[in-house]
Amino acid sequence: MLGFLIFLLVGLGAVGAPLGLAWQPGQGNAPVAATAAEGPVPVRVLMPAPFVDATASLAARFNASHPGIRIELSRGPLDTEALSDLAVSSLVLGEAPYDVLMMDVSWTPKYAAAGFLEPLEPWLGDHALDPMLPGARAGNAFGGHLWRMPFSGDTALLYWRTDLMDAPPADTEALVRTARSLQKQGKVRWGYVWQGRQYEGLSCVMLEVLHGFGGRWWNPATGRTELDTAAARQATGWLSMLVRSGVTPPAVANFAENEALQLFAAGEAAFLRNWPYAWKLIEQEGGPVAGHVGVSPLPAAPGQAGGATLGTWGFSLPAHSPHPAEAVEVIRWLSGPEAQKELVLSQGYAPTWQSLYDDPDLQRRHPLLAVQRQSLELGALVRPLTPLYAQYSDVLQRQVNGVLSGSRSVELAMAEAQSQSTRVAEAIDPR
Amino acid sequence: MSLAPWLLMLPALLLLAAVYAGPLLRYAWLSGHASSVLTGLIPVPNDGANWQRLAGDARFWQDAFQTLRFAFLSVGLELLLGLAIALLLHRPMRGRGLLRAVTLLPWALPTTLMALGWRWILNDPYGPVNGLIQGLGGQPYGFLSTPATTWLATVVADVWKTTPFVALLLLAGLQSIPGDLEEAMQLEGASRWQILRRLTLPLLLPYLGLAVLFRLAQALGVFDLIQVLTGGGPGGSTESLAFYAYLQAMRFLDFGYGATVMLATFGLLLLLALAWLLTLRRLQGRQP
Amino acid sequence: MRALLLLWSLAPLLWQLRTSLQSPAALAPPATGAAAGAAQAAAWTLENYQLILAGDPPFWRCLVNSGVVGLSTTLLTLLLAIPCAYGLHRQRGRIGSVATLILLAAALFPTVLLFLGLLETARRLGLANNLLALSLPYSAMGLPLAVLLLRSAFDDLPPELEDAAKLEGLDLWQRLRHVLLPLLAPALISTALLLFLFSWNEYPIALTWLSRSELLTLPVAMARIGSSSVFTIPYGAFAAATVLGSLPLLLLVLLGQRWIVSGLTHGAIKG
Repeated sequence: MLGFLIFLLVGLGAVGAPLGLAWQPGQGNAPVAATAAEGPVPVRVLMPAPFVDATASLAARFNASHPGIRIELSRGPLDTEALSDLAVSSLVLGEAPYDVLMMDVSWTPKYAAAGFLEPLEPWLGDHALDPMLPGARAGNAFGGHLWRMPFSGDTALLYWRTDLMDAPPADTEALVRTARSLQKQGKVRWGYVWQGRQYEGLSCVMLEVLHGFGGRWWNPATGRTELDTAAARQATGWLSMLVRSGVTPPAVANFAENEALQLFAAGEAAFLRNWPYAWKLIEQEGGPVAGHVGVSPLPAAPGQAGGATLGTWGFSLPAHSPHPAEAVEVIRWLSGPEAQKELVLSQGYAPTWQSLYDDPDLQRRHPLLAVQRQSLELGALVRPLTPLYAQYSDVLQRQVNGVLSGSRSVELAMAEAQSQSTRVAEAIDPR
Repeated sequence: MSLAPWLLMLPALLLLAAVYAGPLLRYAWLSGHASSVLTGLIPVPNDGANWQRLAGDARFWQDAFQTLRFAFLSVGLELLLGLAIALLLHRPMRGRGLLRAVTLLPWALPTTLMALGWRWILNDPYGPVNGLIQGLGGQPYGFLSTPATTWLATVVADVWKTTPFVALLLLAGLQSIPGDLEEAMQLEGASRWQILRRLTLPLLLPYLGLAVLFRLAQALGVFDLIQVLTGGGPGGSTESLAFYAYLQAMRFLDFGYGATVMLATFGLLLLLALAWLLTLRRLQGRQP
Repeated sequence: MRALLLLWSLAPLLWQLRTSLQSPAALAPPATGAAAGAAQAAAWTLENYQLILAGDPPFWRCLVNSGVVGLSTTLLTLLLAIPCAYGLHRQRGRIGSVATLILLAAALFPTVLLFLGLLETARRLGLANNLLALSLPYSAMGLPLAVLLLRSAFDDLPPELEDAAKLEGLDLWQRLRHVLLPLLAPALISTALLLFLFSWNEYPIALTWLSRSELLTLPVAMARIGSSSVFTIPYGAFAAATVLGSLPLLLLVLLGQRWIVSGLTHGAIKG
């Protein structure tokens, strides 16, 4: 019996070896330079699954014209937090299964401070971002280094129904008025759908609503949050009112992008907050609202300046990459103007390069471009640029989601959000 | 001769030490250090600041309360249902093997698999439960966006999955009770309820005790279910201690405090297990 | 009663089966209300299965991964647990009961609390992204229960048996190989089944030790199904994955229920 077990174990090892399962101790630390001689250098890029499909043809074109490098796109999870977990465990493990990481804009300071990344300016120069639209440059540098090349310049947008109204609402009050009257007439079941689940998307919503009511989440000068202010309470109070008054479905407390888009695309809501990809999808799928969707910058409270959260993805170079030069080459290509032009046309992602916004061909073929530019220029809002952002975001999500799901008051939630953020900042400080 | 048993046990004990004692010792060391993004993930001694932080961390205590609430309710329900199922499965009947296999199935499935299933079943408005409600003329209900029903949903999912395990352990206990004892009581004219109370339950006590111990420990470490079904929401109302520890380490990259939370959770667990063992001893002492 | 039990155990699974055969459009009909029902009933499809089987990495790959980890964990654990259980069986008195207590405590320990320490171990020893290396922590986590079950199985064997074998001049290895283990076959099978189930289902350690997508085990892959559609929530694909991921377990439980029940029945308590 025992002999049989040993036999099986050995046999399993033999079968496992060709599958890449074999024992390779210490492979994390040893640079695998020797393989360079045999064919192209593989550059593995980890990205959320939808981007893999979106960039597959770009990768193929690059591979055809660069015999020394082969891009391998790795399909990561769709959900931002799940992708972050995956990226973090691969980085903490110190192994480098990926040569290029696609990163959310909100991760930059945390990853940089943890020492996970390699600065990019030695490779790309100090002025790599200069030809980009100013709004699209934010969130890529931290602590005097460039850590990330943006893949897109996406900001959140307001989607509205052209068959139900002539023009987008000028401010938050007009939005609620229009929504209510359309609901009263029975034209739509819900007025405004957005993202209210306890996840990063809710932090994006909060960032722009805080700004839209004259407040701000975080003060870069003091490094502290400013959530227990009248403006912050008004902002959260507005979201809470939307749910309480039936403009927004109570289920929004469990909505991410997909759920909100699904409801809007099914013709059940008058307004939607979402990212640029949604426009292309609505038009392509040809549902009941296709052809009747207008897009504009998000409205603010009367008398306040609007702003939209910058929700971009971008490419970073993990520390200890075995072949950084090739990886940077790939980053340069995937974030370059040629790639972005193709992605604007196929997916609707907002470009970052000024030259693309000025391109008459693109302006003609992508009607959304003007709105995307407007939204970036009006005020692209960057989430707090601090390594503690993940904690701050988590605290705010919990409190605001608690308000939306009806378990705590606005006043209490914002006071708690402020005091908890301060406490985290003080407790974690090593000094 | 006296050395041989030890030698045979040695490889297993070494592996256990490496996998259990290693991390726990490491946590004890880490919990005395700051090791976060602000230190570049390099441990720096911080004079017990992590433990001070824990004492004043309202979220830790809220999660402790939520975890205990989850554990007590789900283990309680599992005991009741498990006992009922065990009594049912103990009776001789046709197709008992098949019925046992089907009953076991939920326990054999990965938690993440069914957590996704429950998310869909309770979906608002497209899931079957809301489909039923709407079919009966009601309004769809946000089971996973209302704190009260969300934590109950986590309990239901856990009860669904682990009741079979409890039932199985209790079934084992039932099979160890000699059948003639029951017959003797029946002859004396005892009712079924009396037999259950005076014969079956006392003899089952060691099995019940073990089932509770196992389940309590597992429920206090609940993680997979929370991560996939609720993500700790809404408003943090279903966050468990293990999930909080995971967030500290993997999302906030605060290893020092993450290790502290894990050690504290372990301590809490130890206290509860001891309390239960003492209760059990007293219960057993009271028996004739 | 029986029907109720069947319904309780099977209904959620049957609903997943139904969901897996419906198109995304039927799952979330464009307009709620009376018309929705009709659209829903009409659209049966294998689309979801095609989607996950053609995924990258294809879904069968995680089934294979889980199978590899399950087998190697089961074998390694038995390899360590059999001598340990025998040793414990022979080691009477205070030391034996202390060892039993330690094993019981380890069996109770919620293993999720170990992940951070094990992550660091994996980094230091280069064990990450290696399915066979994953068997090491898994074996440690399965060992306590395995040893306790097998020890009580050893205790159940009549002691005269081994004494007789000893008189015939068989050494320890021969006694185990030819006399004791054949008699323990039922206990070994049931322990092996429990170990396999445990490692097939383990989540937190796999979540942190595996970052290559082609190595993911089933529970992690489930939580991370990368659907290419951002338009709808891929519940159909989840359901299809649930069905495919449950089939091996369904088979295992159907074939092995006798062993699982008897294993726990004979072993669990006597420690």
